Amino acid sequence: MNIVVFIKQVPDTNDVKWTANNNIDRTQMESIMNPVDKQAVQAALLLKNSYNAHITVITMGPCKSVEVLKEAVAMRADDAAILCDSKFAGSDTCATSKVLAAAIQNKYPDTDLILFGQSAIDGETAQTGPSTAARLNLPVVSNVNEITDIQNDSVTVNTENETEKSVYKINLPAVLCINNYVYQPEVPRISGYIHAHDYNYKMYNIYELNLPENSAGIKGSPTFVSKVYRTNEKRECKIIDITKEENYCFDVISEIKEVTEN
Amino acid sequence: MEPNGILIYGELNNDYGLRPVVKQLVTKAYELKPKIWNQRIMVCIIGPRINYDGIVQELGKYGADEAVIVNDNNITEYNPNFFPEIFVEIAQKYPPRIILTGATCQGKEIAAYTAAKLDTGLTADCTNLDIGENNLLLSTRPTFGGQLTADILCRSFPQMATVQENVFKEVQTEQHSASAIFKWFDINKSENKINKLNTIKKSSKHKDICSSDIIIAGGAGACKDNGFALIYQLAQKTGAAVAGSREAFERGFITKSQQIGQTGKTVAPKLYIAVGISGANQHLTGIKNSGKIIAINKDKNAPIFKHADIGIAGDLFEVLPKLIENFDTYNKKEENNE
Repeated sequence: MNIVVFIKQVPDTNDVKWTANNNIDRTQMESIMNPVDKQAVQAALLLKNSYNAHITVITMGPCKSVEVLKEAVAMRADDAAILCDSKFAGSDTCATSKVLAAAIQNKYPDTDLILFGQSAIDGETAQTGPSTAARLNLPVVSNVNEITDIQNDSVTVNTENETEKSVYKINLPAVLCINNYVYQPEVPRISGYIHAHDYNYKMYNIYELNLPENSAGIKGSPTFVSKVYRTNEKRECKIIDITKEENYCFDVISEIKEVTEN
Repeated sequence: MEPNGILIYGELNNDYGLRPVVKQLVTKAYELKPKIWNQRIMVCIIGPRINYDGIVQELGKYGADEAVIVNDNNITEYNPNFFPEIFVEIAQKYPPRIILTGATCQGKEIAAYTAAKLDTGLTADCTNLDIGENNLLLSTRPTFGGQLTADILCRSFPQMATVQENVFKEVQTEQHSASAIFKWFDINKSENKINKLNTIKKSSKHKDICSSDIIIAGGAGACKDNGFALIYQLAQKTGAAVAGSREAFERGFITKSQQIGQTGKTVAPKLYIAVGISGANQHLTGIKNSGKIIAINKDKNAPIFKHADIGIAGDLFEVLPKLIENFDTYNKKEENNE
């Protein structure tokens, strides 16, 4: 059973620092493994224990992104590769899914199961998993809470969306997008970090993935940002200090009554 | 074939009615229509063999021109295998300039799959849509955890976008009607690789936050002691729905369907009460369409106060019990006065 988990390095958007010119100060930002991707790695590790699966983690990004591979290898992933090329820079989800699909087709064609985190905290698009699956002509199920069973030719999962909880059995090979907090990522052991430190990470560029030069990066991305600005939607707020104004309750309750009684 | 018009995914709910987001997208499309030479607005519905007259009529009222209905007795509910395939087929048969879907679980899955199959761009979770330079779709979305807003264009066709429910308002137009094109789709021809073994429709134990007039939401501050118990108590008294921030979901105080923000839902209640929520941008994007916002937070400098109409600077463990207690007194007083 060969499992590939795609993981992404993201800036910690919970901790954004601003420059004097109102730009995001990227030099001050921590980079982390996208939290839900880490859970996808954990989901794979559980299969490694119970079904003797071989786990490969793959990331796409600048050389620095190898940090998330190190973390995954320290967690006991078997193999790790980074898709790294200046020609990948600026890829939107359309181009990214093309690169990821090419990595599977050219370097990991014997993959039985591909896992993604449902979405990344920096982009939140939730597109990469289903788009990659579409390019590989593989079935895809999103919002997977738990992988409950895996056989040679199928995987069974629990999913949850807005209206229902479902159980799906999917033919392998398949793509799953993991979205939950059931999987608590394990903290790597010291021996894991030592192993990760010495590990020989594979690196593939655009030619090694058999992709035409213009198929990825900014040139291969149909979408482009025409303008970016700092979000600002403020309201006039009447602040009530409860230590000074006893009657604040009535302000709140009358607002509630205003709605419920009309 | 020259791409023409706007194609919208007509997502149905469990009772085979239109999801609100479909009407909201049609309303928006009708607004954009004059800017793209009045090209057609088409809605694609995939569902069982039932009578769609009511739905088609309803779509017409919001401004849709055509409804393509792909129906089959075997389609009783969404299947992630062939629904996206069917939608791609429709998009190829009637190539549109623009494709819009709700940023729902189904809509996102279909949009992402379709974009890859048609090798085109897709902008997710848009907060506004317009027609920009060169008559291209201008999609506005929050980025960087909501800290920034980006305007995004797409140089290939179709130009695709998803929009969360309640980001747009549904508005009926006068004197407009849709016609329906029925299309038979043989679902047996595609190999079914995904089998649904079991489904539990979610019980409405919790009030649906999207259709509620009042929402009381808890954040990190409410995730300790009995914070959420107090929120549920106040909600019960006031008839409000309970929701929460990403942290409240991660810590198990609410379900995913109660989570508000960029990774959760966008809501537009008449009154939103934020309890112990500091006001991270990713949360604020989900509540900015609310009528009034009341924030309760003990930190006077919490960012939420810049985005609220009324700010109660105080400890929720002091404020909520007082509200619960006085809510009844207030009732009685009113009755006495009458």
